[in-house]
Amino acid sequence: MGEPSLMERVKSRIGWRGEEQVNLVEAGHVRRFCEAIGDDDPRWLKEAPPTFVVALGTETPQIPEALEYGKGWLNGGDRFEYLEPIRIGDEIRTRTVLTDVYEKQGGSGGLLFLIFDTEYVNQHDRVAVRVRGTRIRR
Amino acid sequence: MSLELREGELLPDLVKNPTTRQLVQYAGASGDFYQIHYDQEFARATGLPYVILHGLLKAGFLAQLITSAVGSGGILRSFEVTYRGIDLPGRACRCRGLVTAVTDGIAELEVWTEDPGGTRTTIGKATVQMPEAEAAAE
Repeated sequence: MGEPSLMERVKSRIGWRGEEQVNLVEAGHVRRFCEAIGDDDPRWLKEAPPTFVVALGTETPQIPEALEYGKGWLNGGDRFEYLEPIRIGDEIRTRTVLTDVYEKQGGSGGLLFLIFDTEYVNQHDRVAVRVRGTRIRR
Repeated sequence: MSLELREGELLPDLVKNPTTRQLVQYAGASGDFYQIHYDQEFARATGLPYVILHGLLKAGFLAQLITSAVGSGGILRSFEVTYRGIDLPGRACRCRGLVTAVTDGIAELEVWTEDPGGTRTTIGKATVQMPEAEAAAE
């Protein structure tokens, strides 16, 4: 048997789970996030806007094998499923799982797709938001 | 202000004029410090023409388009975006949306960002649960 290929080594990471993180939803953090987007709706003084949860996680998890592929990251897309609002003062637990890896041929060479699923669980142990992120190495 | 969502209705356009300053603000607020969003040399080394907008910043713009049109009575249930093209600071990013269906109090929306040439650089979908009173009145 030869050495496993890069794709085989990346695929072997499917099921990888990040560290659990616990974050308080802070008013100042939500305010700075809204300022960055330019959304001054007063509703966000009490509640987090729809994409705020991404600021409670980490950057794209650095799977070492994935970094051997291509020159950089691209963001392919994001899907948000909302079950409960996230309010200022909530304590949110998150954990990210690498759920799939596949390769596609693009116009200028190969693209490696990594699918990350993250659940955001509130202090009542209820899932508030689920996010599926598609990150691409090229 | 809350919009009555009817099939075929366009949401009011939201035009953003992102700057490099805004990209740095978003990097700080979201925790995404990938250098292609603020370091020009780094961006060029990965094959990009210049620093580019965070995909999730565009998702934030589109979420604002939806929540400002729908108002606090409508509940966002799902929201997904696919990033198809790059957007650069200094160029207008026009956020647009269309109500594609309204069934049993659930509105389905198609949303997208357009660059100044009219190219759709981000495409997405959302489902919104309409306020009870409106749903009951049908």
